[in-house]
Amino acid sequence: MDCRVTPLTRPRGNDDIKSSRSRELHLAEIVAAFGLPHTPYFPSKVEEEGPSSPTGIMFGKARDALAAARPDVIVIFDTDHYNTFFFDNFPILAIGIDEGFRGPNDEPRGGMPIYDVPSMPRLAEAIRDEGVRAGYDIATLRDFGCDHSVMVPLHFVNPGMQWPVIPFFISGHVPPLPPAQRCFDLGRQIRRTLEAYPDKLRVAIIGTGSFSLEVFGPRIRPGFTDGVPDPDWVHEVCRYIAAGDTAGLIAAATEDRMHAAGNVGGELLNWIAMLAFTDGRKPDFLDKQMENGHAYAGWRL
Amino acid sequence: MSVLELDRLCRETLRDHAFRKAMQTDPEGAIARYRLTEEEKRALLAGDVVALHRMGVNDFLMGYLARFGICGLNIQNFSERIRSAGTAGGGH
Repeated sequence: MDCRVTPLTRPRGNDDIKSSRSRELHLAEIVAAFGLPHTPYFPSKVEEEGPSSPTGIMFGKARDALAAARPDVIVIFDTDHYNTFFFDNFPILAIGIDEGFRGPNDEPRGGMPIYDVPSMPRLAEAIRDEGVRAGYDIATLRDFGCDHSVMVPLHFVNPGMQWPVIPFFISGHVPPLPPAQRCFDLGRQIRRTLEAYPDKLRVAIIGTGSFSLEVFGPRIRPGFTDGVPDPDWVHEVCRYIAAGDTAGLIAAATEDRMHAAGNVGGELLNWIAMLAFTDGRKPDFLDKQMENGHAYAGWRL
Repeated sequence: MSVLELDRLCRETLRDHAFRKAMQTDPEGAIARYRLTEEEKRALLAGDVVALHRMGVNDFLMGYLARFGICGLNIQNFSERIRSAGTAGGGH
């Protein structure tokens, strides 16, 4: 299983060929990809500590790289934290299709603005329609809100919510998790739709979540609300990402391994879907944060 | 077992501010509208998050009880108690 040897793979450093093709055909193109955390108190932390604090700097790097890529739209892979969905109605895969959405809908501590985020329903529909026809059972979400897990990264990298956003939800907290390979293949399917979409759009991709993190479960740190049960796994995940070894990461990211890394460990699946856009390239930056069991990474594509 | 009811109740403390207030001031009265077993009611009112965890209530959602100071819970005692539940798992 080598995810890098596929019909979608482009030779490295061949940006000219890629962009001239999409320019001539007036198709959408993928211009950047990011992996980002969504820790709910980061907006208030950076407000207190300033943009030159470590968190401010790391998000600033992603914000600048995204702006430099001049996106027209962002597709974000995310795991909802029982706010947009609940156990009475709990899809494994879902996409938000509407003119826009509002969030956060879960009062993250410290407070952050409630944003109205524009979206691109026609493009979202194309992702769903072609995804379902390709065998991915994608639930449709309309007239919806998103929680901190979508809004925190957007708060930092999409100032003023200037670029439309399409949220794509992957169940990543409670068993059964969709397999890592399935999430990667889903990412490839969405990429196929985007790269054939007959509109000259520059698309950026974000995957958000932690690699090892327990929130309010038995493996939290004493006196805290969270903890990092499996620091070795964070190192291992980051080694795969740094090397561009997505196939290695997928092979290692079994359901048991992800649950063992914490009760939100399956959020790695959002990164894996995002990695389907990177062609096994090494990231332009990768900042590992052991305290929170997550990382910041970016690719200019 | 009414685990879904307990999960819902925890989430309502986030979403419904009047219910949150009621849970902070009169939890016994506030939970009357939920279909819970006696055992579940006892565990909830005692802030026994280990018992709730073992019943399968979602840990992340139970965290709201600690965050909003419900049923005698706070971050400190929630952390101590849930850690004593030891093994991974809990939740759905």
